[in-house]
Amino acid sequence: MSDVMDTLAGLMPGSPLFELRRQRADVVKHLQGSDDAIFSPADDGGLTRAERAAAGLRVATLLRDPELSEHYRARLVALDSGGSLAKTVEGGARITEGRWDAILAHVDLVTRGPGSAERKDIDNLLAAGLSSHAVVSLSQLIAYVNFQSRVLAGLRMLKGAA
Amino acid sequence: MKRMRDFTHGELDWRPWLAPLDLNVASEQQLLALKVTPSNRAVGAYSLVLAHDPEALAERSPLYNGIMFGPRGLPRADRELGAVAASRVNGCAYCASVHALRFTQLTKEPEVMKRIQRDGADAALDPRRAAILDYAAKLTRDPASIGPADAAPLRAQGLADLDILDLTHAVAMFA
Repeated sequence: MSDVMDTLAGLMPGSPLFELRRQRADVVKHLQGSDDAIFSPADDGGLTRAERAAAGLRVATLLRDPELSEHYRARLVALDSGGSLAKTVEGGARITEGRWDAILAHVDLVTRGPGSAERKDIDNLLAAGLSSHAVVSLSQLIAYVNFQSRVLAGLRMLKGAA
Repeated sequence: MKRMRDFTHGELDWRPWLAPLDLNVASEQQLLALKVTPSNRAVGAYSLVLAHDPEALAERSPLYNGIMFGPRGLPRADRELGAVAASRVNGCAYCASVHALRFTQLTKEPEVMKRIQRDGADAALDPRRAAILDYAAKLTRDPASIGPADAAPLRAQGLADLDILDLTHAVAMFA
């Protein structure tokens, strides 16, 4: 099984940084486990895998991380055959469907300024028809991709400064 | 930097905007993710909210523990410093308060958290903590701005690569 962070950071088995990560075996294991739980859940709670990949792409785009964006774009293309979600994330196209608009607005808000989120922002998601499960999944997803991008930045830094 | 409620005088209250899971109707999977047993039903509201997605919670808890409590490497107080720095820059007063308290319990140096409360990323700290704070603030604000040169100030303060990896994980968890 390939490890998503090793793949994204370009770490080969036996390389110093690959071995360094193994000194934190629990982190490696549960980081990959989080990725699986968030992007390939057994029960999606009503937030589809395509929507999850699209939300991941949005976070990576906002953080200006081209490799991470490409990673989520590839996932999205595999799941969203018509490409309609991808257009709303990157092309500025609007879907008039309130549910997806509400999801994207929430991704943007929490990624750009988590401290400014308010109760009404959660209420908006519930009003748009998301279940409590979907709201928590979306929140975990936004947190995860923000986390992932920063871990990746640190790994790239160590790789470049080796 | 934006002002923030004082987080150095004890833990701030956190009230969820999403209804927490009712343990009486929880599924087996949710109870497992929460590690609830008949003798241990004391679960905080934060975990009960996250339990709406038990698959993600079951991974997040051990991920968090590995990052904040893993043996060797960066001292725990410095991981808490990274968590507070990220939370301060992010505007999360609740996380800042919880982890400022832990930092101060570990170090018995309340002045450090008072300075970060007051001055944020510009707080005047000793050189080692200043290097940690600078990296944490930059990584939180804009991960795309981090480059190989950012490792040098950390290494100059004696941080080994495992320490830097630990700090990166701790900051990223809160950023």
